[in-house]
Amino acid sequence: MEVMTEPARRTAPVSRLVRAELRWIFRRPRTLAVLGLLGVIPVIMGIALAVADPTGSSSPGEGPGAGEGGGLLATAAGSVLVLPIAALTMTLRMLLPLAAAMAGADALAGETATGTLRGWLLAPVSRGRLLLVKALGVATFTLVAATMIAVTGAVTALVLNGADTLYTLSGTTLSIPDALGRIALAVGWVTLQLWAVGAVALAISAFTEHPMVVLASVLGGIIVFTVLGSLDALSWLHPVLLTEAWWAIVDVLRDPIPDADLIGGALKAACYLVIGLSIAYARLVSKDG
Amino acid sequence: MNTKRKAATVAVAGTAAGALGLGLLAMPAGAESAPELPEIEAQELVGSVLKAQPPAMSGTATVDNELGLPSVPGMPALDAQSARVYYDGEGRGRVAMEQQSSELTYVLGEREFWSYDSAAGTATRAELPDGAREQHRNQEAAGADPSQVATQVVDRLEESSNVSVDGTARVAGRAAYELVLTPKPDERTLVREVRVAVDSEERLPLRMSVLTHGTTEPAFEAGFSEIEFGPQPERLFEFSPPEGTEVTEREPGRNGGPQHGGDAEGPEFDVAGDGWDTVLLGRIPSEMREGAESNGTDMTGMLERFGKPVQGEFGSGHVVETRIGTALITEDGRIAAGAVPEQVLRQALENR
Repeated sequence: MEVMTEPARRTAPVSRLVRAELRWIFRRPRTLAVLGLLGVIPVIMGIALAVADPTGSSSPGEGPGAGEGGGLLATAAGSVLVLPIAALTMTLRMLLPLAAAMAGADALAGETATGTLRGWLLAPVSRGRLLLVKALGVATFTLVAATMIAVTGAVTALVLNGADTLYTLSGTTLSIPDALGRIALAVGWVTLQLWAVGAVALAISAFTEHPMVVLASVLGGIIVFTVLGSLDALSWLHPVLLTEAWWAIVDVLRDPIPDADLIGGALKAACYLVIGLSIAYARLVSKDG
Repeated sequence: MNTKRKAATVAVAGTAAGALGLGLLAMPAGAESAPELPEIEAQELVGSVLKAQPPAMSGTATVDNELGLPSVPGMPALDAQSARVYYDGEGRGRVAMEQQSSELTYVLGEREFWSYDSAAGTATRAELPDGAREQHRNQEAAGADPSQVATQVVDRLEESSNVSVDGTARVAGRAAYELVLTPKPDERTLVREVRVAVDSEERLPLRMSVLTHGTTEPAFEAGFSEIEFGPQPERLFEFSPPEGTEVTEREPGRNGGPQHGGDAEGPEFDVAGDGWDTVLLGRIPSEMREGAESNGTDMTGMLERFGKPVQGEFGSGHVVETRIGTALITEDGRIAAGAVPEQVLRQALENR
């Protein structure tokens, strides 16, 4: 079969295929709806924190909610720097991975269900390129989602408080380029984590034609990982869990940035990415047109 | 068939590579072999530690304890804490204690000491008395003959313990000597040995572990998990609180440092015994007890939960036991604590 397809027309450049895929992704109403909803979250957070009195309610490190970012939220109200990161931290727990899983589910399983993947499989495009296009599509979507949150978060904080509150958790005040650099770093890091989730979703997606199966398994996996992560008896397992790396995003707000956890988390995401993509590739190669 | 095999190869290879990567990431950093270092006498090692000026460095210090104390709701977890430490080599430093989503920062600058709590948005500032650091430095310089001081220190230690250098270790990637203090057999203590890992080049203590009888895992360990020597940026040793921060001024001398436990805090402690069975005797000031209650900490309730009630000639009270120390708190607010079994505390209270 390869002999027949390969020499025929391998002229379609990946960039054109990706552009077509992106047009396809961003034309879906649900993509836009998800992005819109994600964009609203930081606005709600910012307004809610500005309306509620942020002092008083936040004794340090106490109460049941403290472990879930209470301290971060307490500082979030005021700062252009902190609100985007806080919004990313909150949504990275559940919503952003869900969005990444949705992108992964639509990319293969969704298209199998509607019959459009058949066109891809029959077209003179090698399966590796097909996967590359799909993976880049997922990556772009997650990047847009993370950027959306960061931008609306920053704008919300800017409107509510102005730009003179760029201070870190260590109490130092940052310059505007430095703060923007940190937000960009956070967005890039979150995108990498989400891409890893998306890659695993793609792998599952290649095996099924029901997008719901992909969503359910990724969501279930995240919940299981979170539960495993909260069990102290399994602390030997924690370095392997992707979700355990996600708290490191807060390190962006410390000064100087402790990079060990961020780098470790990025490497961990890369490992998941390799696993996910190679399984997806293996399934895709052996899939019949 | 060909594609099937290709598919299987890619799947296995990719998954194996990813899993291997995860495994490498999960591997504990301390799994390196002990370095080869020239032999050194305990006395010489102690001397070089006393003489050494800590150089400029940055690192991450972690405290691990397996004391066997249950975690107290509403109190910061003590079992694993890490702090980033920066030091400029000349007495100025910064410590940032990380919490999951906030940070406590302490900055010891040229003239002032700052502490900043990002969760509460509050800062305290204490002016350092003039020349405080100078004096400190001169004192260090005054120990002009470190070998003599070392002899004194080692002699003093050897009254109650055996001091030896027991092999080497790798701490935070640095080669280190292990200095070991073992209590003499007639010392009535819970501690089996105390190990101090000393950097072989900088002669800075890198790690301290306290081991108790019956286990190989340290009951308490504090040390660097990462350390790097070299000049640090100047801005780390200055602090100006962010806008909108509530700043409290403290009078000099009483800095707002982190409060560790409750045992060593509080004024006017007496000492009974010496060596390893030293017992600290004191009285919890009533304002502290009331302060604790107004903070919402129920002292009596806590004692009842963690301590076991005891009675004796000293009256009645509660004993709180951990693996490396015991504290006895009586109903009328007297307190005795030490790295000793309960019996020694009773005697110390009774003989007073």
